Amino acid sequence: MDCRKVREVVFVYADNEMEGELLISFRHHVSICPECARQTVFAERLVMVVRQRCVRALAPEQLRQRILTGLRHYRAGDRGTP
Amino acid sequence: MSQTADTRHSQGWDFEAAAMPFVDSLYNTAFRMTRNSEDAQDLVQETYFKAYRHYDKFQEGTNFKAWLFKILKNSFINNYRKKQSRPLQTDFAEIEDAFENRLSDEVTRKIKSPEEEFLKDVLDEDVQQAMDELPDDYRMAIVLADLEGFSYKEIAEILEVPLGTVMSRLYRGRKLLEHTMLEYAREHGYLRNGSPAKMRNREPSTEEYRDKASR
Repeated sequence: MDCRKVREVVFVYADNEMEGELLISFRHHVSICPECARQTVFAERLVMVVRQRCVRALAPEQLRQRILTGLRHYRAGDRGTP
Repeated sequence: MSQTADTRHSQGWDFEAAAMPFVDSLYNTAFRMTRNSEDAQDLVQETYFKAYRHYDKFQEGTNFKAWLFKILKNSFINNYRKKQSRPLQTDFAEIEDAFENRLSDEVTRKIKSPEEEFLKDVLDEDVQQAMDELPDDYRMAIVLADLEGFSYKEIAEILEVPLGTVMSRLYRGRKLLEHTMLEYAREHGYLRNGSPAKMRNREPSTEEYRDKASR
């Protein structure tokens, strides 16, 4: 694997989605190429920043109620809603 | 007829039990995509009603959560994408290809070592805003992967695209994110001349002035 290929698939590695031969040759390249190793660490950190810093929005209670009410209306035979 | 009603009734309870635990995940994704609570709520509600109507089409033993997200994605594309006209999107691939190479050089130059990365100083608001600015396709792939924890295979199923497309959307989306966050880091003064500067050093250096002027 060369540097160009490593940069192409660096996020596949960071996402833990790499396996088999590809993973072996990725790891080999990174172990002998400091620049690609650095890029790999950077990619992993970029992914971590998104995972850790993006606040998850929680569904408002009124939404749950709206959904449950809608579904019950539907079951009760009102085919108009939903 | 009464048999149909009975089936529907028992199916309804199954559906609620199976589907309601995903309401937060669906809402979070909807909120990320529409960027406002009202639209996100409408989108999630529509997703539930559609899913309920088509519950008989869901194949037992396959991924139910992914199936719900696929319905959410389709509803979003049909109802919301049109509303949010983003001129950037059309010619996006070209613009992006043009700066993709420049980007890696830029980052390589700016960051001396992993320890000196601007990422550790990046502000939460800047991460949020950089996410919001991504084109829909890239943003959705990133939300599904990083916020909802779906695998590539599941994302491919939800978005109904090949695995390679998932990989390339994640790649391009993250490169864009990196670029935007780097811009913010520079604007907000926590990245200067390759090493992260603290917020107190807000005055731009001459080099930065030159950078801006030449842009």
